[in-house]
Amino acid sequence: MHIVDILQQWSDTNAFFIWLRESPSVWAYPMVFFAHTLGLAFTAGASVVIDARLLGAAGFVPVAPLARYFRAIWIGVWLTVVSGLVMLGSDPQTKLTNHLFPLKMLFVVAAIALTAALRGRVASAGVESNVPPVLRALAAMSLLCWLGAVAAGKFMAYF
Amino acid sequence: MQAWWLVPFCKTLHYFGIAVLVGIVGLVDLRIFGVAKALPLRPLQRLMPWAVVSFLVSAASGYVLLRINPANSLGPPVNIAFAAKIVCLVLVGLNDVLYFSTGLKRQVDGVGAGESTSASAKIVAAVSIALWIGVVYWSRMMTFLAGAI
Repeated sequence: MHIVDILQQWSDTNAFFIWLRESPSVWAYPMVFFAHTLGLAFTAGASVVIDARLLGAAGFVPVAPLARYFRAIWIGVWLTVVSGLVMLGSDPQTKLTNHLFPLKMLFVVAAIALTAALRGRVASAGVESNVPPVLRALAAMSLLCWLGAVAAGKFMAYF
Repeated sequence: MQAWWLVPFCKTLHYFGIAVLVGIVGLVDLRIFGVAKALPLRPLQRLMPWAVVSFLVSAASGYVLLRINPANSLGPPVNIAFAAKIVCLVLVGLNDVLYFSTGLKRQVDGVGAGESTSASAKIVAAVSIALWIGVVYWSRMMTFLAGAI
């Protein structure tokens, strides 16, 4: 049996996912979807602003203290990932067989890895305004990956 | 009949605009609450024009989406989630008018590295965060509450 079928069968018989799919309550599926939307909005938005600063925009903002925001960004990442996994669990077949899903996961995994890589490097960036080339390259990739993740997420519903 | 990609493209712009907006509002409001205290608030608040640009991107793409499928947001029947979203946005506007007109924005500009903000600044920041969370909540609920009334 294919892994997707096994997951679908598990989801179909799991009490939690049955409740999540069938409950008309706004506290069920809509709340999970909201957590995903809000978590990603803050995570992607704050990351993109910090990325833009690292790429040379808004030079008046000191770089190193921005590292302190990564704890909040990390909370946003967890909120988004956990709610995303719950939504995936409630409907594995539709999502796993969507042609854009692998691309979205690629963007998401890369963006999270880049967030981890940026955190320490931002903290040790120093007060001088010129950002090292490695940091700029990571920031450029991070910006593209967050934008890609958002776009892939929106386009998935149309594939 | 419009191109198949127009709606998801506008949704991407709409959501990305809100994300950058919420990102900037989040960075400024978190600093007002004492996160990343080594940052002086004046340069941080200079990011506000970016937030305005992000808002305009979201508003323009949102308007296109509204024109493509007016029933989704305007009804009939009335979509209470869309109405609540607009109410939150109006309240955001009032909160901002209050922030600028009372001189509170200028006072916060004077908060340097390592310094704390006033209680009134924290209240305005808390209201701002709550309202933006409301905007995102009611945006998401538009799908679920369409045709509820």
